[in-house]
Amino acid sequence: MKTLRILGWTMIWAGGIILAFLAYQLFGTNLITSRAQDVAAEEVADRFTEVREELVADGQFPPEVIVDDSTTTTTSSTTPGTGTVPPGPVLYEEPTPEEGEAFGIITIAKIDLDHVMMEGVDRETLKSGPGHMPWTPLPGQPGNAVISGHRTTYGAPFYDLDLLEVGDEIVVETALGDHVFAIRETLVVLPTDVWVTNPKRGSWITLTTCHPRFSARERLVIQAELIDGPNLPYAQAEIDEFLEPMS
Amino acid sequence: MRRFFALLPGPTVVKILLMVVIVVAALIALMFLFEWAGDLLDSGGVIGEAPA
Repeated sequence: MKTLRILGWTMIWAGGIILAFLAYQLFGTNLITSRAQDVAAEEVADRFTEVREELVADGQFPPEVIVDDSTTTTTSSTTPGTGTVPPGPVLYEEPTPEEGEAFGIITIAKIDLDHVMMEGVDRETLKSGPGHMPWTPLPGQPGNAVISGHRTTYGAPFYDLDLLEVGDEIVVETALGDHVFAIRETLVVLPTDVWVTNPKRGSWITLTTCHPRFSARERLVIQAELIDGPNLPYAQAEIDEFLEPMS
Repeated sequence: MRRFFALLPGPTVVKILLMVVIVVAALIALMFLFEWAGDLLDSGGVIGEAPA
């Protein structure tokens, strides 16, 4: 009888702990991320203002970038500083963010995704929002920018990533302005398939998240190519230069 | 809980202090357990780590 009572209480406690675990993972972690995103939204607005002011002062601000009204900079039809349009495609760059710093906003209208992105993919950083792999270029720069995010916990920014299809658009706003990407490929790989992060010609963004939902067994990967933004002429010229000897 | 409290050594003040320490330690252990188990549900989607 005593054994049964102990067993009963053990089961009740185990059940309570499992329920607490599920409540924490599915709801509690969302609160952590929601609070972190509020702070990050202010940080990223500050970064946009600071970086844009610096780039305008240096005459390196993209001429046709759409600038939010809340910032102090304005749009310009020519290259600031010189007053003339440069002869060849210009590569517009921005300062590399610090580890854990908010540096951009990712928006995917189709799945109602709108999150501030952080620099870094360590456990703590990803609790605040989607994270950028620091050893890959920033979104909108030449190469392959890799962004990872949670699928079911910590705000689940990439919960509906599987609903995206080839051709859907991803918009990333950084200090340089809006970079628009079109999805070219969606695939499911193993967590060890690091080849999806390899550099690519042109300008690409790769989104990675856990797959299937509620499991970290595989990774859902979305690869999208830049179709509009300050560095599109540069990325296109890079591709053309590569293809020229072949034609 | 009452029986467990009664089993703790020392006068009531010491028992209360011990109880607080045990509860805090249990909560910390529980958080670590939740974090570890949470990685099995969703590790953040990073490429390049060992399968969970």
